[in-house]
Amino acid sequence: MTTMVSVKDVTKVYKRGAEELTVLDSLNLDVPEGEFVALMGPSGSGKTTLLNLIAGIDRPTKGAVVVGGKDIAVLSEGDLAKWRSRNVGFIFQFYNLIPVLSAVENVELPLLLTKLSRKERRERALTALKIVGLADRSSHYPRQLSGGQEQRVAIARAVVTDPQVLVADEPTGDLDAKSAEEILNLMETLNRDFKKTIVMVTHDPRAAERAHVQRHLEKGVLLQR
Amino acid sequence: MKYLPFVFKHLRRNWVRTGSTVVAMAVCIFLLCTLRSVLAEVDSMLAASSASRLVTRHSVSLTFNLPVAYEARIQSVPGVKSVARTIWFGGSLPAKKEGQADGGTDSTTDWSNFFNNMGVDADKFFPMYPELTIAPDQWQSFRETRQGCVVGSKLAKKFNWKVGDRFFLESFIPPYRRRSGPFEFVVSGVYEADLAKYPGTDVSTMYFHYEYVKEGLGREIGVGTYMVEIENGDRAAVVGKAIDALFENSSATSITETEQAFKAGFIAMAGNLALLLNGIGLAVAFTILLVTANTMSMAVRERRTEIGVLKTLGFSSAHVMGFVVGEALLLGVLGGALGVFGSQGLLYGLSVLPGVNELLAGIGLSGLQLKPEVAALGFFIAVALGLFAGLIPALSAYRARITDILRTV
Ligand SMILES: Nc1ncnc2c1ncn2[C@@H]1O[C@H](COP(=O)(O)OP(=O)(O)O)[C@@H](O)[C@H]1O
Ligand SMILES: [Mg+2]
Repeated sequence: MTTMVSVKDVTKVYKRGAEELTVLDSLNLDVPEGEFVALMGPSGSGKTTLLNLIAGIDRPTKGAVVVGGKDIAVLSEGDLAKWRSRNVGFIFQFYNLIPVLSAVENVELPLLLTKLSRKERRERALTALKIVGLADRSSHYPRQLSGGQEQRVAIARAVVTDPQVLVADEPTGDLDAKSAEEILNLMETLNRDFKKTIVMVTHDPRAAERAHVQRHLEKGVLLQR
Repeated sequence: MKYLPFVFKHLRRNWVRTGSTVVAMAVCIFLLCTLRSVLAEVDSMLAASSASRLVTRHSVSLTFNLPVAYEARIQSVPGVKSVARTIWFGGSLPAKKEGQADGGTDSTTDWSNFFNNMGVDADKFFPMYPELTIAPDQWQSFRETRQGCVVGSKLAKKFNWKVGDRFFLESFIPPYRRRSGPFEFVVSGVYEADLAKYPGTDVSTMYFHYEYVKEGLGREIGVGTYMVEIENGDRAAVVGKAIDALFENSSATSITETEQAFKAGFIAMAGNLALLLNGIGLAVAFTILLVTANTMSMAVRERRTEIGVLKTLGFSSAHVMGFVVGEALLLGVLGGALGVFGSQGLLYGLSVLPGVNELLAGIGLSGLQLKPEVAALGFFIAVALGLFAGLIPALSAYRARITDILRTV
């Protein structure tokens, strides 16, 4: 099996004036293609930071982050943005849908960066909504949806460009048990049927159980399995 | 542009804020366009006045007349070429005709038909105004007809007056009224002006013989203003002072100024008019800039998360900045368009409203209109204001780092 995500000897240091905070310290992590990894650890241990590096939202102070065979740590900010739009889908804890856009418009948003026609964009967005089971809510606005539904729309938005990698930062953190269950089922489907490689940060042991692999982060270092 | 609906949706969502910003912007542009148009018209009127023509009037007020005896004395001042007596008659077409009993105070004045009319010493007055042209036979007939008058081409067109037509005028100024009723006039001629050569020249005034009204009233009426032509325009100030010095110690002291200064004073706003109006315009524009800038930075602050999300999805910093600028620009375009149309509406309304148009023409502002260059300037300023207001919020959106925005710790 090929490696989809490879974090190599990565150090991340945040500077606050004269103060330096080493959040990740010479960290190594390999995620094979098609894997579903749960990343656990106490608050402030650097989970989000690691996820941001994998998703190309941030760049490491030292080391390499290779995703799909490409070292994204050396890309410029503009190239990184372009890379993100094609290769990674991001799922947030608080859904982060755009309130002025309807469900289908939210899902369509990443496609605005492609060369697809208006009609094709709309079709793809509707297909993505169908996959998450919300085809009948396409014209609803975020405030008209429940938390679980909002997160499903957000997942549709993350997969609409058909990226190889999905990263999720506590996707069930703000949901009740039943909605959380639905979201986890959906992620499992995306991993199993749509072959998405998933890296999911979570606090919730029940959520972590659904992943194939569980890794623990403590003070910027991955615990050995 | 596929992003335009996206920008529109934000503006529509916050429609109260959008609406008030657009209206504020529109008011700013409206004021600006309207003031500029009035100023331009005042300017062209002043430019049409000759610097070699002076106006001598009573120092107290335009409503007091000077003695007729001053004419000869003004004529004697070195540098003076010619002097012509005039009165501003203030006549309007009355409901009653000459011969009917007592015009009195109950006779109604029809202000919607008001126009500028003056009694002049024709033989001296018209030679001072080479920009006004009359056919020689009409001029001759005017000179020989006691009740004769010449009317500006625009005025003639308005009332459909032809040579030989008769009408009555009654003044609202008590000393120019008489028991036997209004004065009758006959149109002897129509004067014109080469507006290409002398833009701003007034062709909406009626001139008649000073002597006719004086005789009709049966007493001396004095002189409202003396028009004084001088040999050399550069010596206007000196000659003016010399004239006023003549009457310094008499009971009716005078003020002499150039026709330009006189006209500027006549529309009741001093020479600082332009400065004042521009100052107001600038202050308003600056206020609107602050309002719009505030709106935009509020919009951006509220949408910090959204900006972070857009960037996460792969929209570049330039994209995100474009959205913010686009939104501000759209506010500018909407406000500008509304303001320009409003101004156009008002100025057009004034020009067709009965009475108002004539009153404006009466003070020399007959050509009030929104010029394309003024409209373009107004629109441009609105767009520039929008752009400027959006700039700082846009830059902050440009610089915003995803990791800083989306931190939830
Ligand atoms: N943008 C940033 N600037 C400065 N410090 C940061 C930044 N992001 C995170 N940190 C710090 O890095 C540490 C790890 O944060 P984070 O990766 O969000 O942890 P977790 O997601 O595991 O709770 C925390 O101490 C946090 O304060
Ligand atoms: Mg976190």
